[in-house]
Amino acid sequence: MLRKEQNDYLSQTGPGTPLGNLFRCYWMPALLAEELPENDCPPVRVKLMSERLLAVRDSEGKYGLIDEFCAHRGVSLWFGRNEDCGLRCPYHGWKYDVTGQCVDVPSEAVESGYAKKIKLKNYPLIERGGVLWTYMGPADKQPPLPEFEFCTVPLNQTFTTKRVQECNWLQAMEGGIDSSHVSWLHRGDLSNDPLFKGAAGNKYNMQDMSPVFEVVENDGGLLIGARRNAEDDQYYWRITPWVMPCYTGVPPRGDHPIHGHFWVPIDDESCWAWSYDYHPTRPLSDVEVAAMKDGKGVHVKYVPGTYRPAANKDNDYLMNRAAQKAGKTFSGIEGIGMQDASLQESMGPLCDRTKENLVGTDNGIIMARHRLQRAAKALADKGTIPPGVDPEHHKVRQAALLLKHDMPFRDGAKEALKAKQGVRQTSV
Amino acid sequence: MLSESARVTTAHEAGFRVQYPNSRERAAKIIALDAEAAKALEPVSREHWHGAAFFTSLSFSAPSAPGQTLDAWLNDVAGHAMNLAAEVAEADYVVVITSAGEDSRAVSVIAEACKLRKKTLVGLILTHNGPTDEQVAASLKELRPYTRMLVVASGADYIEAMLTALRA
Repeated sequence: MLRKEQNDYLSQTGPGTPLGNLFRCYWMPALLAEELPENDCPPVRVKLMSERLLAVRDSEGKYGLIDEFCAHRGVSLWFGRNEDCGLRCPYHGWKYDVTGQCVDVPSEAVESGYAKKIKLKNYPLIERGGVLWTYMGPADKQPPLPEFEFCTVPLNQTFTTKRVQECNWLQAMEGGIDSSHVSWLHRGDLSNDPLFKGAAGNKYNMQDMSPVFEVVENDGGLLIGARRNAEDDQYYWRITPWVMPCYTGVPPRGDHPIHGHFWVPIDDESCWAWSYDYHPTRPLSDVEVAAMKDGKGVHVKYVPGTYRPAANKDNDYLMNRAAQKAGKTFSGIEGIGMQDASLQESMGPLCDRTKENLVGTDNGIIMARHRLQRAAKALADKGTIPPGVDPEHHKVRQAALLLKHDMPFRDGAKEALKAKQGVRQTSV
Repeated sequence: MLSESARVTTAHEAGFRVQYPNSRERAAKIIALDAEAAKALEPVSREHWHGAAFFTSLSFSAPSAPGQTLDAWLNDVAGHAMNLAAEVAEADYVVVITSAGEDSRAVSVIAEACKLRKKTLVGLILTHNGPTDEQVAASLKELRPYTRMLVVASGADYIEAMLTALRA
């Protein structure tokens, strides 16, 4: 459990809040590159960490993320005309470039210099791995670009989607490090989902429903190992990395692509659940990509034309009680992504952790909260750069492997946990 | 038309949740396995807790009746000796804490008592004194066979954070 003030501390990410300041130390996924598909395309409204912004791509292909609202009368520039290297407000014609600099105020003479004195808040926006990333912190503290493996492999080896999740970022992220729920909530999907089934390691999940856990601090966050009994004096380990503040990896299965998530706050009551799949050494097959587009694995089907899941709280997530009763799905909800999201959203837009009753196996969650609080406090008190900012911390991989009983997973999986170009994932 | 779940999960409706305790106090037994861990545990034990009992060492005495095995005693911070089996019997869960590299073999005795009573045993290995990787590995090896959850924490402040989270 958390006291209310602790819960607020960890949940609130708006400007000036302790966690908000922490998040603003990192590059964050802002939108998919496909959302700004061509020069002078329509701008996209983006709300991140309680700031309303507008993503634009100008006539020369330059990206920018600027305050959504015109400095003149507060109109949303989403209605603007994207033309001649600038976004022109349709109300009175004020025009801004991708840096938020006003370049034209039609009512005032150019010679007056009036436009030069108008500038909207802006953040850098860069493309990496099909994702547009932004950094919303102080310009002089901007870190090097992100090096997560899913966004550094060739584009034909990676596939990323996002979906809106209608709850606070923390309860969504905590699902990503809560390894103990997998044996329950997702038990039906190991044998059915095309992106999971067939892996040799799946049998250990099915044979041993009581995994034992180890949590180890890592430079960038945590490594959470779940072990199950295997043959010949060995354990089957599934190792989940968490990189601060909101990146989680799902341990792989066989030669299936590796997947995981980013959990990015939209505001304090909703977040973007980013889901990636990639393979370190080969292109994704047409069958795999088709399955991902069809909402299999960690991805979801959408309400057409949106990034809102087709199964959502307005339709009770398309609950199928017959499938639940028959054991086809444990919760009655189809798909891993929505199985998680439905339950996390059911906690309410902001989970009241003063009422929760954690148990020993929740230590991954407890440790993550502890590290977030510690890092936010060190940032506030001493300006300490938090773990996970250094791109070296991004070069971690999830792993699934067999180790002898007396081998610490962190040592036994030392090489497996490193992202190395051209080296296949370690997976059973 | 909104579904029931859509309505009940709004921020407004969250205000109508039953404001009544959903759990009763639980008995946690927190046991330091070595002197370094005891040193870290001692200030934590002085905080206000709900049903948690703190022990800084384990000792043994001759069996109280012929034919029985050794009696194991937990010593609390005030110097009282409590019977291990009785303490575990009334516990809801047990946490053992060791400082990496220190002798943590006592865990096997505590684990045996937990196994007998089917109590969950959580292990915490502290690395705040800068142990070598080998020392951490040795502690992991010692505790791994007995614990349901094993945590390696770099700061002793994690003891309080974990116990607060567990409502100890």
